[in-house]
Amino acid sequence: MRVEVRAPYRTRVRQALADEGLRDALDRATSHLSERRERAMAAVDSEALRDQARAARNHAIEHLPDLLEELERNLLGNGCQVHWARDAAEALGAVLDIAQQHQVRDVVKSKSMVTEEIGLNDAFERSGIDVVETDLGEYIVQLAGEPPSHIIAPVIHKRVEDISELFQEKLGIDPTIEPADLCAAARSELRSEFLLADMGVSGCNFAIAESGTICIVTNEGNGRMVSSLPRVYVAIVGIEKVVRSVEDAMLLWQLVSRSATGQDVSVYFSMSSGPRRRGHTDGPDEMHVILLDNGRSRIMERGYGEAMLCIRCGACANICPVYREIGGHAYGPTPYSGPIGAVITPLLEYDVTAARELPFASTLCGACRDVCPVKIDLPQLLLDLRSNVVERGATSRLERTAVAAYGKAMRRSRPYHSLARLARWFGWLALLLPPLRAWSRTRGFLRFPSKRFRDLWPERVRHDEDRTAE
Amino acid sequence: MIPDYIEPRVAILSQLRRMESGSKAAGLPELPSPVTHAEGASLAKLFGSKLEEISGSCDILDRAADVADRIVELVKDWSAEDGDATADTNDPQPIEVLSWSPKELPLEGLKGFLKDSGISLLVPDDLHDESWRARAARPSIGLTSVDAAFASTGSLVLAPGRGRSRAASLLPLRHLAIVPMSRIHPTFEAWLATLRREERLSSYLRVSGQIAFITGPSKSADIEQILTLGVHGPRTVHALVFDDTR
Repeated sequence: MRVEVRAPYRTRVRQALADEGLRDALDRATSHLSERRERAMAAVDSEALRDQARAARNHAIEHLPDLLEELERNLLGNGCQVHWARDAAEALGAVLDIAQQHQVRDVVKSKSMVTEEIGLNDAFERSGIDVVETDLGEYIVQLAGEPPSHIIAPVIHKRVEDISELFQEKLGIDPTIEPADLCAAARSELRSEFLLADMGVSGCNFAIAESGTICIVTNEGNGRMVSSLPRVYVAIVGIEKVVRSVEDAMLLWQLVSRSATGQDVSVYFSMSSGPRRRGHTDGPDEMHVILLDNGRSRIMERGYGEAMLCIRCGACANICPVYREIGGHAYGPTPYSGPIGAVITPLLEYDVTAARELPFASTLCGACRDVCPVKIDLPQLLLDLRSNVVERGATSRLERTAVAAYGKAMRRSRPYHSLARLARWFGWLALLLPPLRAWSRTRGFLRFPSKRFRDLWPERVRHDEDRTAE
Repeated sequence: MIPDYIEPRVAILSQLRRMESGSKAAGLPELPSPVTHAEGASLAKLFGSKLEEISGSCDILDRAADVADRIVELVKDWSAEDGDATADTNDPQPIEVLSWSPKELPLEGLKGFLKDSGISLLVPDDLHDESWRARAARPSIGLTSVDAAFASTGSLVLAPGRGRSRAASLLPLRHLAIVPMSRIHPTFEAWLATLRREERLSSYLRVSGQIAFITGPSKSADIEQILTLGVHGPRTVHALVFDDTR
C-alpha cells in the first residue's frame, strides 16, 4: 500500500506501518547510510570538524543581513542577476518571468528541496513548460508521480523491483532488476533532455558571500550539467544558505559528504560564480540567483534560528527510530522529513494542518542530536515546538482536561496515593477504557509491581533494624 | 523607476536587521584548520591510490613523453571495448576524442603525435551552437588537464576557459585527465591556504564562471543503495600523472 501524503497524519502513519515492503526498504537503506556515516566520521577528528562547522554556520546566521548584501554585491559583480523573494509566490513569479523572457519550453532540474518547498514543478507545468528531474532518484519519483521521501535519497522507499516495473511501463525497457541497466536507461533518456533544455534549475548547498559563488554538491554530475549546458541557469537559494568564505564552504562540503553518504567528499562540487565568460566554449549565457525567505526570517524571529544551521545531510532521519519505521511520506506533503523535517515543516507553516502533529513524531531519544554534523539540538527544538502547540491551545480538550487533572492530583498527597494505588490496575484499564485506549494502542506498558516503593521501604528498614539488633 | 525586486529585498533585509542583537559574537570564528589525512610517501602515489579507492584509475609516468604513448593505448583499448565502429575497421577513420585545445594541455606536440596514431582531437568552439552540440555529444572519450589535484581525496580541479570546455570532462563516458605532478597538493585545505596566502582565492573563483571539483567517476546509490557508475558524467575517470619536475 502506498502512503498518501495528503491524508491525515494518523492515516499516513498507519499506511506506512502496514507496508512491509516499505519498512524493509527503509530498514536496509537507513542502516547502510548510518554505517557509512559512522565510518567516514571515525576517519577524522569528527568532534573538531563538527565544532568548526557549527561555528561557520553560526557565524553565517548571526551575520545574515551583512552576508546577504555582500553575496548580492559579488554576484552582481560576477555578472549574475539577483532576485529577492519574500515567499513562494514571489519566487515562482521570478522564475516564470525569466522563463517567459527566454521562451523556455524545456527545463532540467537537479535535486533541490527548496524547489519542492515552493512547488516549482507544478508552477512550470501550469505554464505549459516541461520540467524534468535529473537526479536519478528524483527522476524515479517524478515518473511515479510521488514526492521524494528522504532529503538525500529521494527514492529510499522503493525496491529495485518497483523501479524496474515503473521503467518498463514508462520508458518501455526490457524487464531487469540490475541497477546498472536501470541507470543506463535513465542516462540515455536524461542525456537528450540535458542537450535539449533551454533552462537549468538547481537549489544551492552553500552561497559564498566573499566571492559571489553558488555551490552545489552532487554525485551523479547532474548539478554540473544543469549549471553548464542550458543557456539560462537559475539557482534558488534559501537565505540561510549563505556562508562567509570559500574555506567555510569547502569545510561544509566535506562534512555534508561524510555525514550524508559516508564519502570523504562528493564526486562533484560545482562552484558557479556567473555566466560563461567571453570566448568560453560552454556554460550558461545568463545566471540568475533567487534569494528566498519564505518564512526563514520569521523562524529566526521566533527563536528557532538553530534550525537554520542545517546543511541537509539526512543523518538525523537515518538514525531516527520513528523515521526508520514510517519513512518520509508519513511526514506529509513536505520535502523535509525526519527530525529536522519535524522541526522546520511546521515552522515554515507548510500546510499547517498537516504539519501540526509532526513535533510529536519523535521519541526524543536524542540520537539525531548526537549525529547532527552541526550539533543542532533537535530534541530541544521539538520540545519547544510542542510547548508552542500546547500554549496555542491546539491540543484536544480531553488531553487538556487529563493533564490539568493530573497536575492537580500530583500536588496533593491524598489523590496522589489513590492514583498510585490505581496505577497497578492502570495497564488493564488502559486496554479497556475508550479514551485511554487511544493512547495504549500504540504503546507498550510497564507493569506496575504489586508493592510500591513506599510499601517496600518501611519493610526494608524494619528488616535492617532486626539484623542490627541480632 | 525602482526595479521591482527592491521591495522584497528591503523587506527581507529589514526584518533580519530588526532581530539582530547587540550581543553578536565578536569577530570571526577561526578559519577551519586543515583536517589532516595521511601524509608522507609520494603525493602522486597517495593521489593514485585514493583515486582507485573511489573507482577511478591512475597511471604514474616518469616522463612527459610516456604520456602520449599511454593516451594512444588507452584510447584504442577503450574504443575497442565500447564497440566504437571506427576503432578496428580496415578503413581506419580517426577516433574522435572530445578535448581541450592542445594549447591548454601540458604536453608539446601532442596533437600531431595522436593524429599519426589515428586519433583526432575535437575541440568544440561554441556549445550553444546546435551543430557543435551534436558533434560534441558523440565522442565517448574526453581529454583535459587540471588546475590542481588533491592527494587526500583523489580530487581534480578544473576551471573552464578559452579552449577548455566543461563538456570534455562531463559529456563522454570516459574522462582522461593529464595531471602534472607539480599540481598535486596534499589536501584541499593546503591548496586553499596557498591561494588565500597569495590573495588569489576569490578571484580564482570569480574569473572563470565555474570551478568544478571532480572526485572519481559519476555515481549514484539511489537504487537500493547499490553503487552504479556513470549516471550522468563519466563512468571512467583516469588520471595520467607525469613527473614535470625533472
